[in-house]
Amino acid sequence: MSVRNAILGLLADHPRHGYELRAAFEALAGGAALWSVKPAQVYTTLARLEEGGLVAQDSVEQDGGPEKHIYSLTPAGQAELADWFASGVPAEHQRDEFFVKLMLSLSTEVASPYRVLQAQRSKLYQELHDLTTRRNRADPRRELAQIFLLDKSIMHLEADLRWLDLIEARLDDIRRQPLPRPTPRPRGRPKIGIRNSRNEEPGYKANTSP
Amino acid sequence: MSLIAATHLKKVYGVGETAVTALNGVSLQVEPGEFVAIMGPSGCGKSTLLHLLGGLDRPTSGSVMIDGHNLSDLSDAKLTEIRRRRIGFIFQFFNLIPVLNALENAALPITLDGVKPAEAKARAAEWLDKVGLEGRSDHRPDQLSGGQQQRVAVARALVADPALVLADEPTGNLDTHSSEEIAGLLRQVANDWGRAVVIVTHDPRIAAYADRIIFLKDGAVVDETVLEPRGSSNGRNAELAGR
Repeated sequence: MSVRNAILGLLADHPRHGYELRAAFEALAGGAALWSVKPAQVYTTLARLEEGGLVAQDSVEQDGGPEKHIYSLTPAGQAELADWFASGVPAEHQRDEFFVKLMLSLSTEVASPYRVLQAQRSKLYQELHDLTTRRNRADPRRELAQIFLLDKSIMHLEADLRWLDLIEARLDDIRRQPLPRPTPRPRGRPKIGIRNSRNEEPGYKANTSP
Repeated sequence: MSLIAATHLKKVYGVGETAVTALNGVSLQVEPGEFVAIMGPSGCGKSTLLHLLGGLDRPTSGSVMIDGHNLSDLSDAKLTEIRRRRIGFIFQFFNLIPVLNALENAALPITLDGVKPAEAKARAAEWLDKVGLEGRSDHRPDQLSGGQQQRVAVARALVADPALVLADEPTGNLDTHSSEEIAGLLRQVANDWGRAVVIVTHDPRIAAYADRIIFLKDGAVVDETVLEPRGSSNGRNAELAGR
């Protein structure tokens, strides 16, 4: 998981306390507006990493204040971090709330799928406008990495908008096709010698809505 | 008063069974200093709409008011004059004259309109500076990059001091970087120089520079998205200008 591995990476540089880790992570990830983490998440993650032997905790007394807990990376943590750097990160493109919304609009008639598409397009253009503004505001002499992160989001939005155009152009064809339905599963223990006719039903029903 | 007020525009090409309806009842208004993008699938009527707004073609029915002039009421001569003085055009393939240098190309509309050559060149030089082409005045089109050629075209569109700039796929022949530079320049045309800008584009990244996107399908407006509400003091879109 990203926050867990990012904490390992931040500790590889030098030992830090929880608040410092949180601030450093948010700065690296593109700012708190883009990816904020709660202090509780950082401390819970640190506790689990400590349990797993990946980080070690040391307490430092402060003048007139409570003890400060400083975390550092253990050899096992260094190995885990090396594995993370050596492997790829899967892209997260498959789960799509808008797609679920569109499919529901096709099956329920509560909302017009065309209106659902238009609302999504409007939302994405708003985001594209905002991101383009932020990207153009950034200073390439100091914030080149942030500019590339914004460029990535801009490119994804551009692809999403083109994808919406493709769907809109073929929406009538999609409506004529059957909607995916779950394949019924037999309940309980399968009975030997008795054919379960439900398993032979096709997993689709015709979408008869206009 | 709106700079553009188009009402129930209909355009039919051909007659009888072969008639094709390119536009079917499009109405829109554009304010001075506003940047509007028109989008939609190929054949939806985008370019036809732009041609009607620019007086390059006449509607079958409906009316176009530009800067207080009803284009339908004008003679061809008067329409030509309005086009030359009040409307600037930018095209996908730049449409620069190959044998003229950047300065002569930019000065062309007002040279044709009878402005003395020295004054025309001085005004063109001013606009070439504003679009970031200082030091390129004596370059011919084949000595300029695509982005630079389109900047010359923007200077040419603005040299007559028009109220309206119309651009048909102005970035369609440019790479991504140059496209965004031209989009930023058009944003600047609206923001800093107060012209209304209407562009036709297929490119979402370019449309995102606009204040408003109008979506056409089958010759009709099917949707509209406001990216920058009027009266927002150009807060965000000011950042997009002059990239």
